[in-house]
Amino acid sequence: MITIKHLSHEFVVGKKGKQTFIPILRDISFEVEKGEIVTIVGRSGSGKSTLLNLVSGFIHPKEGEIWINGEKVSQLNESKFADFRIKNFGFIFQSFQLIPSMTAFQNVELPLILKGVSEAARKIQTEEMLAKVGLLDYKDHYPGELSGGQQQRVSIARALIVNPPIILADEPTGSLDSETEEDLLKFIKELNTELGITFLIITHDEKVANIGHRTIELKDGRINQGVLV
Amino acid sequence: MKLRDQFRFVRQNMKKNRTRVYMTILATAMGCAFLIVLASVGFGLQKSVVKEMTERRIMTQIDVYGQETKENGEYRQLDSKDVQAFEEMSDVKAVTRRKMLQQEGFYSIGNYQQSTQTVVANFPSEIKAGFELSEGSLGKGKTEVVVGYNFPLNLAVKGEQTNEFFDEQGQLKEEYRYNGKLIGETIDLTVRKIEDGKEIEKVYSVTVVGISKKPTKEWTEDRSVYISEELLKEIEVFTGTPKGIILDSANQVNLADLEASKNTFDDVKVYAKNMEAVQGIVDNLKKKDYATYSVVNELKEVNLMFAIAKAGLIFIGTIAILIASIGIYNTMTMAVTERAPDIGIMKAIGANPRTIKRIFLLESSYIGLIGAFIGTIVSYCISYAVNFVIPLIIKQAFGEETPPKLIFSDIPLSLPIICIVICYGVTILSGLRPAQRATRVDVLRAMRREV
Repeated sequence: MITIKHLSHEFVVGKKGKQTFIPILRDISFEVEKGEIVTIVGRSGSGKSTLLNLVSGFIHPKEGEIWINGEKVSQLNESKFADFRIKNFGFIFQSFQLIPSMTAFQNVELPLILKGVSEAARKIQTEEMLAKVGLLDYKDHYPGELSGGQQQRVSIARALIVNPPIILADEPTGSLDSETEEDLLKFIKELNTELGITFLIITHDEKVANIGHRTIELKDGRINQGVLV
Repeated sequence: MKLRDQFRFVRQNMKKNRTRVYMTILATAMGCAFLIVLASVGFGLQKSVVKEMTERRIMTQIDVYGQETKENGEYRQLDSKDVQAFEEMSDVKAVTRRKMLQQEGFYSIGNYQQSTQTVVANFPSEIKAGFELSEGSLGKGKTEVVVGYNFPLNLAVKGEQTNEFFDEQGQLKEEYRYNGKLIGETIDLTVRKIEDGKEIEKVYSVTVVGISKKPTKEWTEDRSVYISEELLKEIEVFTGTPKGIILDSANQVNLADLEASKNTFDDVKVYAKNMEAVQGIVDNLKKKDYATYSVVNELKEVNLMFAIAKAGLIFIGTIAILIASIGIYNTMTMAVTERAPDIGIMKAIGANPRTIKRIFLLESSYIGLIGAFIGTIVSYCISYAVNFVIPLIIKQAFGEETPPKLIFSDIPLSLPIICIVICYGVTILSGLRPAQRATRVDVLRAMRREV
């Protein structure tokens, strides 16, 4: 489902003429099968977030290829990647990334609006999804009026609303207490089992890493072969 | 993303900073109102001038003065051959031709008299052109005449006419005016000639058989007496000159010119079938070196002048909208900066940059169009107030009365449309750069709240 081939990336620091190139990822290659939960672990600065950003299309790799569902996405332009993203990806972020001026309902509804779904269909789907994450009663609440766990649930509802085959999660439990974390991990497992959604999760939390079918450890921008489970 | 949802987004976004948006709309409305009111003065004055021109003249009438001769570039008078050629032209309804007695006809009946113009007209063509009688019939015999509607109203008691004879409007008072019937009555026409330095008079008795219809325009008068061709010839025999011209030491006339004017017309008018045909006939006549005048020609020139003036006023007004557009640019730039994190999130979950750009362009044009709409309403109010107040101010300040139908400010439908189009174009341009900036918002930086 996701194929990474010889992926390398570097950041450029400094002004033109005095630039320094800092390698972040070096020759990364791995595959994620459909319906798999793959967790990527590593110390801070190991390049795991950069890897997720490359797969998400937020940045373009310097070298290597990224194939998703048989399509080479590493060279897609911004506009084409946006269309690809809304059809194939759902995102769960550490800091939830909800739009503060929109209610829970409006935040969840947003991907459907971007897809051009009719208002009537949107209402039904959004309410169903909010019910699924247990937040229908909070649909008119703004993110600031919700707890961290509730916000993350809204974020998950927003990620799931377009039925994406892949969910990319960046430290999904990073802002949650341990009880909420347990609930969330259980929910991710359920989604994977019941809906067959593929997960690529970046984490430094062992509990989260343990829910994966496989775990990939990154060290200094390379896959630490010894820890590949 | 559907247009309806884009509009919903725009409205939601605009609510976030109402005061700033209202101020921007206000600035745009003021710019638009300035443009419309400024240009409306041009439209208003043009309307007044054109109305004045068209009300006083017949739109389908073309005056033909003569034809330029190839030999010396002078103009020769028109004769029956010319008239025939005019009549054969397409879209010509009638060609009236008149010969004038070249001296003032002195008419008297009983104790009443008046001096007026004596005309030989071709009645079939006059009738085609719209000439009508209020009573009686057209003259058939040599001594039968038709008089103009205002002729009897100016037949005054013989003797020196003092101010007492006339009312405030300059009309002859009823007590000094001939009040009897005219149809069937005989009036005397006195014609003069100079012979050996002496003035000799001859009286021709003519019978009034018809009176023309009251002129449709209030300010025009028809005091003419329409005599027969035969009577004019008899007068020519008496004076020994064409059309009864008086030859004396003060009136030196070239004999060749005199001979040439014998069978010519003094007043030729071509009437077109409709207003649209006038220009074609005028062009045709000009091609044949005829000197012409028509209101349509004059209107064309007046309209051209006003079109230039209006274009200038619209241009000045556009500057006001351009200034307002700086406000729109500023508002949109602020909006992009403030909403950069939201834009980043939208892009992260799959919003196409084109959609982001459209939303911001829609917002700037929305502000512009609301401003233009409010500006249009305000300018209609100002225009109405200007038309009401300015005559009062002129009267108070200068003690002058303005003409009753003078329009200072007029807003035809085309003006708000022009303003809205200009405003829309300007707002799109001013919103373009902020909208492009919105599409370039970096997702990662926006989500980290670094933008």
